[in-house]
Amino acid sequence: MSEAVKTVSEKSKADAPSAPSVNSTRTSPEDSKSSDDNNSKPLSSSSAKQKNPMKVDILLKHIGDAPIMTKRKWTVDRTKKISWVADFIKKYIKSDSTESLFLYVNQSFAPAPDTDLGSIFDCFNSDGKLVLHYCRTQAYG
Amino acid sequence: MAEDREFLREVWEGKIPVCFRLAQEEIYTVDQPDPFFLLVPRLSYFPLMTDKVVKHLSKHVDPDNQGEIWLEYEGQPLKWHYPIGLLFDLFGSKADLPWNLTVHFQNFPEEELLHCPSKEAVESHFMSVVKEADALKHRGQAVNNMQRKDHKTLWAGVMNDKFDQFWSVNKKLMESTGEETFKFIPFRVYQLDNMPIQKLFKPTDDKGDILTLRHMLESALPDFSENERSVVIQGVQPDLDTPALWLSEHLSYPDNFLHICLHPFAAAENES
Repeated sequence: MSEAVKTVSEKSKADAPSAPSVNSTRTSPEDSKSSDDNNSKPLSSSSAKQKNPMKVDILLKHIGDAPIMTKRKWTVDRTKKISWVADFIKKYIKSDSTESLFLYVNQSFAPAPDTDLGSIFDCFNSDGKLVLHYCRTQAYG
Repeated sequence: MAEDREFLREVWEGKIPVCFRLAQEEIYTVDQPDPFFLLVPRLSYFPLMTDKVVKHLSKHVDPDNQGEIWLEYEGQPLKWHYPIGLLFDLFGSKADLPWNLTVHFQNFPEEELLHCPSKEAVESHFMSVVKEADALKHRGQAVNNMQRKDHKTLWAGVMNDKFDQFWSVNKKLMESTGEETFKFIPFRVYQLDNMPIQKLFKPTDDKGDILTLRHMLESALPDFSENERSVVIQGVQPDLDTPALWLSEHLSYPDNFLHICLHPFAAAENES
């Protein structure tokens, strides 16, 4: 099952439309480093911190002119909703809470705001991380 | 294949009789509003159905205190982004018909419901779920290979209740290309007082044997017991030995997901 998930994620990376951001090259070294870390925990240097099944690792990537977050890897409760992640990003990038923020999975679909992260992670994580792309305008309408 | 098409058409034509009544506490006019009756398609969404309800009932509400319409069944706010058939299977399956819903224009429950700003929002949500289903079935390839007008045709089929129009495009999403069937089955399991459950599930096992609805439910809910829970999809209780792939092809909603409701059997039923 995990192999199939890996295939899905590799394919989606191959199919990914070119990210329109100037800074995209800067994000790759960090990405390849984390994807090489197959056995270590991407968010903690302490080996005592086992993967808590109640939490999931997410990686936030920007699209377009959305500000880049300095810290992009987070460990979050499975029960948190997509709307919580959107609010969290908006606070972090100092965006007004009334402004739109779109979150995408697989660079293709936007889960309903009341979807819990756990479900999305179980189905769409790659190498133990769920990649979410955020954008201030609709990117994949 | 012909009888399959007949089956698909029967599923498409499923309808639920609904009675819309304005919440008592919101009635502002002296003359009482009549209840409003509609036969709504299972496969549609309430925001596509409620223009007439709004027109009929909103005039009885205080014009200075009137917000977005929202629906409630016996105290349970109804999520507009769930297909109507799913809402009924989850909350109304034991109800008398017509299904009695309460209409509100005040006190929108911000913590429980999303706002629905427009019909375009419904379309946007629908297309997103279709893409998610395709990501599971075909790595997103089938949707990516479609033109924008195909997406529009899919939605038009749902909005206008046009089976042929919808399936002229949807058949591409239901195809098993060559030897590969769907990679994973798009499904969600709903229970009262629980968050929906969605997990990865392949239609066949490593030996190539076809997996069933029972296998799918057991993999999603480790403590699933068919003696304790009834399983409802599109208003029917399928045999648990039905192949999961067949169910995905025939009982999915237009969003290409199987929306499955589990209900505990009443204690009395268990004893008999």
